[in-house]
Amino acid sequence: MRKPMTILLAVCAIAAGLASAGLAQAETVRFWYHFDNPENPMSTLIERFQASHPGIKIEAENIPWNSYYDNLYTSIVGGNAPDAAMVKLFAQPRLIEMGALEPIKARIDAWPGKTDLLDNLLSLNQGPAGAQYYLPVQYVVLYLYYRADMFAAANLQPPKTCDEFLSAAKALTKAPEVYGFGFRGGKGGWDQWGTFVFSQGARLGKGGLTTPEAIKANQWLIDLYRVHKIVPPSAPNDGFQEIISAFKSGKTAMTIHHIGSSADLVKALGDKVSAVPVPRCGPSAWTSYGDESLAIFSASKVKDAAWKWISFLAEGENNVQFNQATGQLTVTKSGAKGWKLHERRFVDATVASLPFAQVLPQTPETTEFVNTVWSTTMQRALTGQITAEQMMREIEALYD
Amino acid sequence: MTAIVSASHEDVPIRPWRGRILPYCLLTPAVLATLVVVFLPMVEAIVTSLYDFILWKPNASRFVGLGNYLKLLRDPVFWISAGHTAIWIGLTVPLQMGLGLIAALLLNRQFPWRGLARALVVIPWALPSVVIALVWRWIYDPNTGILNELLLRLHIIESAVPWLADPDKALYAIIATLTWQGFPFFAVMILAGLQSIPESQYEAAAIDGAGAWQQFRHVTLPGISGILATAGLLRIIWVANSVDVIFVMTGGGPGYATFTLPLYAFVKARQNLDFGYGTAIAVTFSLLLAGVVALYIARSSREVAS
Repeated sequence: MRKPMTILLAVCAIAAGLASAGLAQAETVRFWYHFDNPENPMSTLIERFQASHPGIKIEAENIPWNSYYDNLYTSIVGGNAPDAAMVKLFAQPRLIEMGALEPIKARIDAWPGKTDLLDNLLSLNQGPAGAQYYLPVQYVVLYLYYRADMFAAANLQPPKTCDEFLSAAKALTKAPEVYGFGFRGGKGGWDQWGTFVFSQGARLGKGGLTTPEAIKANQWLIDLYRVHKIVPPSAPNDGFQEIISAFKSGKTAMTIHHIGSSADLVKALGDKVSAVPVPRCGPSAWTSYGDESLAIFSASKVKDAAWKWISFLAEGENNVQFNQATGQLTVTKSGAKGWKLHERRFVDATVASLPFAQVLPQTPETTEFVNTVWSTTMQRALTGQITAEQMMREIEALYD
Repeated sequence: MTAIVSASHEDVPIRPWRGRILPYCLLTPAVLATLVVVFLPMVEAIVTSLYDFILWKPNASRFVGLGNYLKLLRDPVFWISAGHTAIWIGLTVPLQMGLGLIAALLLNRQFPWRGLARALVVIPWALPSVVIALVWRWIYDPNTGILNELLLRLHIIESAVPWLADPDKALYAIIATLTWQGFPFFAVMILAGLQSIPESQYEAAAIDGAGAWQQFRHVTLPGISGILATAGLLRIIWVANSVDVIFVMTGGGPGYATFTLPLYAFVKARQNLDFGYGTAIAVTFSLLLAGVVALYIARSSREVAS
């Protein structure tokens, strides 16, 4: 009787041991991302990762872009944050203030993939006091899309300065059928605005928006809509979908966006669409460096596994596959060498724009500027409810 | 009479305590669920509104008493939103009711395929608000929308109208959308009311020489007045709280042109993450709406009692 009992106990102990070992091994990494592309290749990447890292399970969730950060901040405060997520630079100050980010400088330094990252990306993504919280995963730079066929028909060259831009836009405007420029006056249009206003000396911060030059630059932009009428009347509410569909349908001859929309535009317009760097309005041009990075959250209990996953996504071929879905550019040197995902003319416009591409100042107020303040003030200025100066004062009040 | 009453009282058996307590036991889960799901968040919201609480600055949270409410009174966007809310409710509910009444009167008549028409009229009500908002956003689109195309072809307008981008038109464009979405609710409710009016009342009125208008005025309207009042009160509460259609169609823009109080509370709390101020707006609006809610509860209680 005693012997069978001993065997039974031994079997139970082994089973329990195996079960607990299994539990310890099956670390689950919750990952949030945002892809607009319905042909989402994340499942292929996850399969490949899980095959090479048998102890880690990835639960990836595609969060709609419009509410991505609202969900992220509330999930952090609610104690239900993911272990890792895609993040943009403008969110970094808030996330740091919330104590939500895990420093990853030591991990990056020890990571073999570091040398394969494109130069300067890590320093662009750097946090305060030399700390590193973000690992770059893709990037874009905003440039000017133009309808090559319309320009050729009007015997025009793509504009290099704002004066040339305005002349070309006026020449191409045949309202209400065609407008020279598709301006994004709704949410997310601050980077188009920046091209015309920051390049004329305005600066986001106290005293930087209310100088006579900055107000004049803002007035110049508002006049495109109110005086010159080279922008569609729907501009105050237009978002990404509207400016892209207007450009595709021939309603607008120029717009500003990045390489992420090139595949869609080429599909609709073929060789009729091309791109050049944004026009220079003042002493120096300004365009927006569109970053996207990966971060680990400090509340995560599986930080090592989360690091393995995010570093996997930033490595050579994996990163290329990741960018296939987002339509943006790889952050690795090895991936950039044989880059065939975009037509050369769009890659050239991006590379030519890099020297003057900038990010907004990393302060918590910038997030509010991007999220709400810019669009509400811009819309009111465009529709004549406030002046160019009042708009600048309202934005500047954020930084008081 | 007294004897009968007292005799009947004597006949009522005294229920054992277990029998008396049973209804309360059965009600307890529902009451507890309501307390946890409805009242606890309400109390939490009131408490939060007394704090300067910005979600991304959790360590800087501090008690400010009625500070957020005083700030509210000086906030021009609050007053703009309050004005829009009044227009929003004041136009949407009567328009929905009027259109619903006309639809119900038509659907109450005999005509071929009446059953199909009654089923189809419910479609706007059955569609999700987000779908409706997206559909109407494209209908109103000045570049590709069908409304401008139609008006241009009919030579009613000379150039495309930016319905949602013009601060003078945007709110009314959304009101038209919500009217279209909500009128089937009234139509169905009123139709049920119309069918409960006995035919004999119309016959009697006709014998007395009442014309169509007089029959409508003195038979139909009194017959459906109860339904109109209850449905109207309910709809005021729903329309007042509705933010989804506005949010999808304009996000409150251009500028503050389509901000209503619930939307302003949402933008403050959810997008600016200013939970203290956002909940102060929400609590204030709830108090403003409380009068309508009280009327509805009083009315419902009367109906239950009768």
